[in-house]
Amino acid sequence: MWQADSEADMGDADMGDADMGDIVEFRNATKTFGGIAAFRGVNFTLQPGEIHALLGENGAGKSTLTKVMAGVHTLSEGKLLLNGQEVNFSSPAEALKAGIAMVFQETNLVPAMTVAQNLYLGEEKLFNRLRGLNVQARQFLAGMGFQVDPTAQVSTLGAAHKQMVEIARAVHHRARVIIFDEPTATLTPEEKRHFFNLVDRLVKAGVAIVFITHALEEALQVASRITVMRDGQIVATGRAADFTRGSIVQAMVGRNLSETLHGSAKRATRSYGEKVLSVENLSCAGLVRNSSFSVFAGQVTGMFGLVGAGRTEMAKVIAGVMKRNVFHGGEIRLFGKSVRYRVPRPAMLDGIVYVTEDRKLDGFFETMTGGENLQIGALSNGNNPLSIVSPAQAKALVDHWGTRLRLKQISDQARMIELSGGNQQKVVIAKSLIQKPKLIIFDEPTRGVDVGAIVEIHQLISDLADDGMAVVVISSYLPEIMAVSDRVLVVKRGRVVEEMMASEASEEKIMFAAVH
Amino acid sequence: MTSANQRAGAIRGGMPRKPIKISQEKVVIGISVVLFSIFSIVLDKFLSEGNIIALLKNVSILGTLAVGMGLVVVGRGIDLTMVAVMVVGVAFSIWVSSLGIDFTVAVLIGAVLVALIGLFTGVMIAFAEIPPIFATLAIASSIYGTGRIIFPSDVLYAPNNVGWLKWVGSGTLFGIPASVLIFGIVSVTMGLFLRKTRFGRLVYATGDNPNAARNMGLPTRPIIVTQYIISALIAFIAGLIMTGLVTGINTRIYNSSLIYDVLLVVVLGGIGLSGGQGGVRNVIVGTILVGILTNGMTILNVSYTNQNLIKSVILLTALAIDAIINPRDEQTSQTGDI
Repeated sequence: MWQADSEADMGDADMGDADMGDIVEFRNATKTFGGIAAFRGVNFTLQPGEIHALLGENGAGKSTLTKVMAGVHTLSEGKLLLNGQEVNFSSPAEALKAGIAMVFQETNLVPAMTVAQNLYLGEEKLFNRLRGLNVQARQFLAGMGFQVDPTAQVSTLGAAHKQMVEIARAVHHRARVIIFDEPTATLTPEEKRHFFNLVDRLVKAGVAIVFITHALEEALQVASRITVMRDGQIVATGRAADFTRGSIVQAMVGRNLSETLHGSAKRATRSYGEKVLSVENLSCAGLVRNSSFSVFAGQVTGMFGLVGAGRTEMAKVIAGVMKRNVFHGGEIRLFGKSVRYRVPRPAMLDGIVYVTEDRKLDGFFETMTGGENLQIGALSNGNNPLSIVSPAQAKALVDHWGTRLRLKQISDQARMIELSGGNQQKVVIAKSLIQKPKLIIFDEPTRGVDVGAIVEIHQLISDLADDGMAVVVISSYLPEIMAVSDRVLVVKRGRVVEEMMASEASEEKIMFAAVH
Repeated sequence: MTSANQRAGAIRGGMPRKPIKISQEKVVIGISVVLFSIFSIVLDKFLSEGNIIALLKNVSILGTLAVGMGLVVVGRGIDLTMVAVMVVGVAFSIWVSSLGIDFTVAVLIGAVLVALIGLFTGVMIAFAEIPPIFATLAIASSIYGTGRIIFPSDVLYAPNNVGWLKWVGSGTLFGIPASVLIFGIVSVTMGLFLRKTRFGRLVYATGDNPNAARNMGLPTRPIIVTQYIISALIAFIAGLIMTGLVTGINTRIYNSSLIYDVLLVVVLGGIGLSGGQGGVRNVIVGTILVGILTNGMTILNVSYTNQNLIKSVILLTALAIDAIINPRDEQTSQTGDI
């Protein structure tokens, strides 16, 4: 069953003509975005009437692979075969015409239209008889056993019903391949059962299903075959019965290169300092559900979770960037004092700083130089709007932080946009540190940062904790969590589900908690 | 995508964009010089002292308005209420003085009203989060409409015994007309304000990236509200200059293309509508070009309609160039999600 660890073993011998009935096949497929490979040299087959689960960490390449199938992206290299014939979809509409439909994580329905209108979207006649449409839709939906009112507006439907409409639309277009991207993430257990019944019926009708999920037990239960991707390659594929949860997790995380880089050699774990932040039953618009945890001074608290688990939202609520629910929103205590921020400014003045995960979008000021960016950090604390800005202050900041963070090029007139990713991130971090925070939250601190800078940023994070600051590091990258954390919080579906000390944590354990 | 070296390669926004926009200012200065030379040679009346002073006086109103607009545009907003505020603010002051109150006091009362209008506009934009272009468009016509109900006629004349108003209209200092002097003072003050004060830097930060400014804990909402109050007060000053020059105010100016001329000055001068760029210097450069152009066309006897046509074509071109060199979409250079 194991396709071993490298593309070398995935020769033609065992892949080529094993199954004549492949409906979709990728041959040595590669997809790159601006020189960076999303996946490379992938061989993948899909047979009619099977449920094929596609598993892997965030960024392993699963979504991109299926999007190529559905015509959202086109391959950079290699072939995509449909029924043995090479195809090259230029748009999702073309893929749909060929019988491949994709049900996205965020549904693609028009919220202001009714179910029936959505179902027949794109094939309206010149004179649309709504009543006829509704009758037609009702019959169609009843035929599939869906209890959805065709006249209901889509925006009023729950997640499960929206999904039913999407599935119905796929069936209506006579899709023979349906791709589900995390279909069960937003469903209740009962809705999930219903969903799997539907999938069962589709499979019996000979439809091939690709099923991307983070819930391993679901994959083990319903899938007939499982493929695990990691770092843009397929590391394991085989019959579901041959897998166990343990073997899947190991395939998902097993890596060597990263460990040497991040030096996962265990260092002394810092002890608890003062309790800086305590969060109780925090809730925010379905993204954060009843979550509770604490953060201590002089310690790095790592927060791991899959994308969409609600980590970023928790951090943003704490820092006042987002607002928590007005009722039953829970309680946030900073140094024992209950706080509720509507905007980030009071949070910043109280010493909470959030370093964004997307620095270009909401981290730095791109038309300014690095020095000017640093100075905004210094100016943010003041109160007098008419106080004079001194160039000497900017220069002093550049000198000080340039040395401390080993920033080479920011003293000259280079604008932020011209700096490397690592230097940009360092400026963003320095800008936040100038505000003298007591609690600093790093969201994906090393995303898009060169290798040398990663090590330096990790060192800086470590130094901050040594200096007694309360530090939170949010990351979807396990080795990073392992490298910097003293304590690890695992977030799943908007809630902190597990807490462990670094000494007792392992990548497998963390991943298990995050997907279990 | 998660292995370390690939991750390292995923540098976002790694492509440096060339700073093209330093040239825009120089291009505008160049065109101004060329136009000025051509007009001087072709039109014999152009270089006369009377015409130059007329040019400067005309330009001072436009320029003063543009300084206020420039502040708002740097902060990634737009203030279409300026002309309405200008005519209604001044007309209100004149109307109050006609009730028997001293004109100077009436002007101060007018200033308070104008500041309140600016406050209201700012609150609608910063707190109610209405896009500035729609908020100010709607507020502009509400202000003008309300004014038309209150004031007895379209044209209101200021009392002709106010010393300082006469000076604004016809006084000089070292040979410089007072109106031009006021424009100069407003420009220099705004220039220092934007460049040297903490508030000015925060305006640039908010205009450059409002989300980053908010995340960092800058007081973005008070900053936005203050911008609109200041721009309303500057519009009021422009209105006083106009009252001094023509001894009264014609509220019908609201229906003219003046607000588009103001925008033309700002965009042409090189203040990108995407915010965070440019300064008062750009406003002055734009003002000079538009002033020369308008004056030359007037002497050439180009009809008002044709002048507007020419200016709107230039505005459209300037906007298109602005959109190309200062793209507003932050996400354009991001790679697809993986």
